[in-house]
Amino acid sequence: MREETGETPGLPTPDAVAAGQAQIARLVGELRRVILGKEQTIDEVVASLLARGHVLLEGLPGLGKTELVKALSRLLSLDFRRIQFTPDLLPTDITGSHILQEREGRKEFVFHPGPVFTNILLADEINRASPKTQAALLEAMQERRVTAFGETRVLPDPFFVLATQNPIELEGTYPLPEAQLDRFMFKVDIAGVDRAVLEEILVTRVHGEPPPLGPVVSAAALRDLFALVDAVHLPRSVAAYIARLVAASHPSSGEAPDAVRSFVKYGSSPRAAISIGAAARAMALMRGRPSVGFDDVRQVARPAMAHRLVLDYTARLEGWDGRRLVDALLAAVPEIERGLPQTLAAR
Amino acid sequence: MPRIPAIPATIDDMPESVRPALRRLARRLALGVFLDAWPAWAAASLLAAGSLVLICRLFVAGAAPYLKWSWLAPLVLAVPAIVIAVVRGYRPADVVAVADWLNGGNGMLLGVMETRDPAWSESEMVRGASAFPMPTLRPWRRLRIVPAAALFLFAALWLPQRAPRPQHTALADEIASGLTAAVAELKQQALITPADEKALEEEIERIRRGADRRVDASSWEAADALKEKLAADVAEKQNALKWAQESLARLQAAAQAGSAGDPKLAAASAELARALEKLAQDGMLAGAPDNLRQLMKGGRLPADPKALGELAAAVSKYLSETRGRVGNVAVLGKEAGRFDPAEFPLDHSEMTQDGDGDPGRGGVNRGRADADLTWGKETAMFDKFKAQPLPPGAARSADDWTPVVEMPGAPQANPEISSAAAARQYAATAGQTAWRRTLAPRHQSAVKKYFAK
Repeated sequence: MREETGETPGLPTPDAVAAGQAQIARLVGELRRVILGKEQTIDEVVASLLARGHVLLEGLPGLGKTELVKALSRLLSLDFRRIQFTPDLLPTDITGSHILQEREGRKEFVFHPGPVFTNILLADEINRASPKTQAALLEAMQERRVTAFGETRVLPDPFFVLATQNPIELEGTYPLPEAQLDRFMFKVDIAGVDRAVLEEILVTRVHGEPPPLGPVVSAAALRDLFALVDAVHLPRSVAAYIARLVAASHPSSGEAPDAVRSFVKYGSSPRAAISIGAAARAMALMRGRPSVGFDDVRQVARPAMAHRLVLDYTARLEGWDGRRLVDALLAAVPEIERGLPQTLAAR
Repeated sequence: MPRIPAIPATIDDMPESVRPALRRLARRLALGVFLDAWPAWAAASLLAAGSLVLICRLFVAGAAPYLKWSWLAPLVLAVPAIVIAVVRGYRPADVVAVADWLNGGNGMLLGVMETRDPAWSESEMVRGASAFPMPTLRPWRRLRIVPAAALFLFAALWLPQRAPRPQHTALADEIASGLTAAVAELKQQALITPADEKALEEEIERIRRGADRRVDASSWEAADALKEKLAADVAEKQNALKWAQESLARLQAAAQAGSAGDPKLAAASAELARALEKLAQDGMLAGAPDNLRQLMKGGRLPADPKALGELAAAVSKYLSETRGRVGNVAVLGKEAGRFDPAEFPLDHSEMTQDGDGDPGRGGVNRGRADADLTWGKETAMFDKFKAQPLPPGAARSADDWTPVVEMPGAPQANPEISSAAAARQYAATAGQTAWRRTLAPRHQSAVKKYFAK
């Protein structure tokens, strides 16, 4: 860690930032070729990826959730696995299991790695599996390792879980518990597309097939990007803003806005602050800056905090959801702790 | 321990391209902090100064020359406001944070400030960050309360200085002095008992204190009432003396005409005894000769005509002296406004059609034809006498009554006496009251002032 070395933390060099931004821009550009009209979604997914966070994609069927993940794996030239979650899916179907095999005349249990042993894991319709199976992902997502039969196995690096779920057809589904939701850095809502995008899809896609993609970021380059993201500077004023933002999400906080006091049962965890800081670094790099700014935090606060708020039952009655509450938080908490004097006005 | 990144102590540590903008922002923020604090203080000081000016206008006439300096109160309070602005001022890190926020919040200035990375110090992004929009100054957001407070101070200073309240002490002493002189005269003539003297002095002091607080018609009314009381006492003494002299004369006549067992002599003797007792009650036997005192102590007159004659001579001499003393103080009754018919002779033989000859004071022809119309003895118009409205003649309601004077002792009233019976009872004195009260008491002060010149 930079802080532990005792050296003055410097900013990444302008050349490194420019190179990293260019690579990310290529990645984003290719994704935008595949997924039309989803610029913000793509930015958020890429930011989460660069911050090495897991993403939960929520949206109606047919909006390109799975296609986005598949395109990402192709562009990054990383190993990709997909698990279609169903109610009868077992934990060992994810983590892998020991199978009795005969080797050289002896029978022994041999571990067969599950699909979790990959770089990018697409957990499709994750809310259709039982909680027990969902919980199998907990250790993998947080510790990036799997323990089976008392043996712990480290997952490949990098390891991302990109899970999807749709907000309809909720019969026979198991909503993700808060503990597991907290493991996802972002929850990205996939909205529908407008008429112009639909027209573009019809013109450019035959049978809905996406254009062919090739790797644009190698594994080594991706690791360099990770290091570059970590090198992006997080100023103390911005860190203080993140801390105040997360603290204000708790209804017991003195800075909590009225909406939070009324509709939030439990605020965001410290993991939310960590996620915002990491994702804001990635967002700053995507914008070609060596230092995180307030606008980066505002950009990532909604996908990073909305799913971490435990809402009161009255919130749904009043039409409040996590994103709207985060908007209220962003409006209530000023970026700079000490604002302008009353006799000054920002233009 | 995590290491806290070093934050520059001054803006001089920032890249040169952004220093001017940051300094300008720092100055504007300092002015904003000052303007956040000072207007409220200035308004409070102006209000306080205005209140002080009002107090001085009403009660402290001596402070009038210095009240204009109260305009300096806001300026004086500007000094602590400046101190507060310096103490609460924005640190360089705060200034840079505000600048970065004004620049859109991209974090470039903050990153350069905290890392002092020379690779980025003169980059295009940092130079662009120096072009942040400067916050506009809106002083009237806070200063708008100052003009209202200043207007209050201006109005307070504009008010005329209230003249000091006139001291009534001199007038009160003047009112009391007449009464004191009357009591002293009574005491000098030995016509008053110590108990009465003490009661009168207390009453005079009470009138004086009342006049000291406020001089109005009631003050003069109270003094006049006390003078009337003194005059009534003197008149009563005169009557008692006259009765004693007359009874003594009848006793002498009876003693010369009859023997010792004559019923007329006994009746005259008893009448004289009652008359002397009345004199004793009025305190007029304090300086009486010894034989008269022994007579009062024994209660019996000598049967011997010779001795009785000597006693009558002594009593007659004493009564004559006493009557002379009473006559000296009888003028009190005139001062109290009592009607003296002797001042108004009915003989018009000396009156002529031309009056007394003084110009302007004569008869209907206003003086002699050859006299100059100087009008010199008249009151100067609008100078010594100023017309003033008299109080209303009757109270509008029972609640409008105010006590005119506090007399010692409670009034005696007998509710069993009907109004008709009361009219009969006081029929004898009603006329006396009428000629005494020639003027309504509440008008006496105005009339007295008019005729005093």
